[in-house]
Amino acid sequence: MILQSLKEYYDRKALDPQSGIAPPGWCVKGIPFIIVLDEKGAFVSIQDMREGGGKKKVAKEFVVPLAVKKTVNIAANLLWGTAGYVLGLDLKKPMKQEEQKRTFINRIKALGDIDDLKPVITFLETDNSERLQADQYYQELVEDNAVVSFSYCDDNGLLVCQRPSVAKAINKTVGKKSNASICLVSGEPDETERLHPSIKGLYGAHTSGADIVSFNLPAFRSYNKEQGGNAPIGEIAAFAYTTALNFLLRKESKQKFRLGGDTLVFWSAKETSIESDFASWFEEPPEDDPDAKTYKIKALLKSVESGAYTGPDGKDFFYILGLSPNKKHISIRLWRRTTVSNFALNIARYFKDMSIVKPPNKPEYYSLKQVLKSIAVLDESENIPPNIAGDMMTAIIAGTPFPASVLMAAIRRIKSDQGRVKPVRAALIKACLNRSRLNINNKELGMSLDVTLPVVGYQLGRLFAALEKIQQEGLGDTNTTIRERYYGAASTSPATVFPILMRMKRHHIAKIEKKGRQVNLEKLLTEIMSRIDATKSEAFPRHLNINAQGYFAIGYYHQMQDFYTKHDTKTAPETEAVTE
Amino acid sequence: MDWCLEVWGDYACFTRPEMKVERVSYDVMTPSAARAVYESILWKPAISWNITSIEVMNPIKWLSVRRNEVGKKASVPGLKELSGEKEPSSGIFIEDERQQRAGLLLRDVRYRIHAFFDFIPPAQRKKNLPTETALWADAGEETESARADECPAKYAAMFERRAKKGQCFHRPYLGCREFACNFQLVNPNVDKKPIPESCDLGWMLYDMDFSDIENPHALFFRAKLDGGTIRVPKKDSEEVLA
Repeated sequence: MILQSLKEYYDRKALDPQSGIAPPGWCVKGIPFIIVLDEKGAFVSIQDMREGGGKKKVAKEFVVPLAVKKTVNIAANLLWGTAGYVLGLDLKKPMKQEEQKRTFINRIKALGDIDDLKPVITFLETDNSERLQADQYYQELVEDNAVVSFSYCDDNGLLVCQRPSVAKAINKTVGKKSNASICLVSGEPDETERLHPSIKGLYGAHTSGADIVSFNLPAFRSYNKEQGGNAPIGEIAAFAYTTALNFLLRKESKQKFRLGGDTLVFWSAKETSIESDFASWFEEPPEDDPDAKTYKIKALLKSVESGAYTGPDGKDFFYILGLSPNKKHISIRLWRRTTVSNFALNIARYFKDMSIVKPPNKPEYYSLKQVLKSIAVLDESENIPPNIAGDMMTAIIAGTPFPASVLMAAIRRIKSDQGRVKPVRAALIKACLNRSRLNINNKELGMSLDVTLPVVGYQLGRLFAALEKIQQEGLGDTNTTIRERYYGAASTSPATVFPILMRMKRHHIAKIEKKGRQVNLEKLLTEIMSRIDATKSEAFPRHLNINAQGYFAIGYYHQMQDFYTKHDTKTAPETEAVTE
Repeated sequence: MDWCLEVWGDYACFTRPEMKVERVSYDVMTPSAARAVYESILWKPAISWNITSIEVMNPIKWLSVRRNEVGKKASVPGLKELSGEKEPSSGIFIEDERQQRAGLLLRDVRYRIHAFFDFIPPAQRKKNLPTETALWADAGEETESARADECPAKYAAMFERRAKKGQCFHRPYLGCREFACNFQLVNPNVDKKPIPESCDLGWMLYDMDFSDIENPHALFFRAKLDGGTIRVPKKDSEEVLA
């Protein structure tokens, strides 16, 4: 089903002339240098086709005949190739350069007697080394063994292989059908492809390309079948799915998304806006347009609410494929086929789950990387636990609860970070708790403080926040507050810590100057204590499990945010402080 | 006479032939895996199992894992080694051949497999008889071409008895040997409904065709999930492509 869906995507794109996808027998390749010839085959100049400024100059892309698959054997491409094949100058393999050039020439000759090709053959068979060496780009071309192709001086950048008469001859050699065997992708009879075209552009894979379908070691072969015989896929289908995947993985593709070491590609059966917006919801916004991400997410939430995806468009399929490189193989880590409406609903739900009250200078929506960094040691992206990214993404797409390890990691980080409940961590914990099956019967956590929430962990977190506020108001700015000293113990085993904190509170509260403020804070404490008593028989539980510790963190966070929000009631005005 | 076996297990991997290296499972059980379950309970040269339908009882859930595997195939020891002469070992040192490969498996699977067997008359069975007179049990065995009680009912009774008792030649498995499963002979009319899903699963492996033992080739059919049931065509029908 996976390869079949990719093939269907290719078929859809191939019908669209604007898509930039190559027809059968051709591929898209970056050609940095073009040798320009005149109509007699004499050398004119070398043209530099690289674009872009600064250090990273990218070669312009052309549609050229399909690359041959080779490793160390000699096999020439048609009318384009590296300097070793085209000019016969290979600094790394000088023994092979003669044969390489000969194979290259022979392949052009094998196309047939075409007038347009005669100048190229003349050029290749004469010795142009003097005029070549005089050119400014010659040195760079030979040293880099760069890819080069041909063009005629009056053709204005059109490659020789793209000339109509040449292209016609090339297309004739493509697509021979025989009744060898049934292709397992299309179900049609087709010649079995022995070696599939490589998938390039996958981060972390071998630079010369990797394969999903490959049987290079004896351990992978069955019934003594060689290479492609192990999985009979026809040439047309093999070309289609590899071209589609290469297209999705190309540099400027908006339909891929890197998640740690893995790459996610996605496409829909019919053209939808989700296809191009998906990556922007989860990535960092582009530097020149920091509000783009927020705008797109808001648009998604609005369209889901207004029921935009519930129409017939919503029933179209949306595909997500997660790929992970393993040297020359590509392993499939995630495969999901879902409807557009289902998909949009789950993503919108994720963002709703992650929304929480925040100080005004914090971003409204976090990128996935920011979220995962907040649960990694020292907040470094290299310390993100290896499988978490993929598992999180799966949970987001499927609408299932987050992995248990995410909640544990978040709470662990808060404790090791001296009780710092950052907004991003609070948002993540809130999402974990609301989505968890353990809390199905509990009232859902809201965006901001909910005093009536009947969960003892939540109320204890509120109590801890209130006690910290009392200390801060009584003693002013100190080096450490009770948060740094007691957060870990308070959230894990409240019975050991809270009696001490309640005793200290008497001294802190006595130091507050305004009597009215003292009374209000005592009232708040009484209110919270009454809620705690109402939930359990003993005042302070001896131990809180991970789930309850999550509620503790959220209760603490909500209460702290509430202290720094201006209320319309008669509370003394607070100085605006940013919770970190 | 056809039966319904319910099989269930924690994991399953019905490997797609095109993703054999980094294993990706089909969404549902393949007919060949279903046939293997029946054959593990009872198989004789007299019967050949045909699967009629597979019902998916549990929702389809996936799991991605990375496992260590070995990159070399074990080879047959040569004559020299067997006779005890000193030879470089034909064993595999795992540390040298270790490869880490990923797998996309199915979790918590439960299927109901409906099948019947074809009875193969004694005359059409492949003969596997001793050639020397000394090896015959008695005079009668050499001349007797078949036992008098050969009939389909005999094997049907054998199968039913074994399946009810839970007997099997080897533990049935779901796609890969390491994913052992449990089985139970059930009455198909007992109320347990398959998942209410219908979709087109594309071309799926039907089975391997071993009629040419030197060159087995794969058969494919178009799998359609219809209300949680996959109707499996007969082997010689036109729906099965060679």
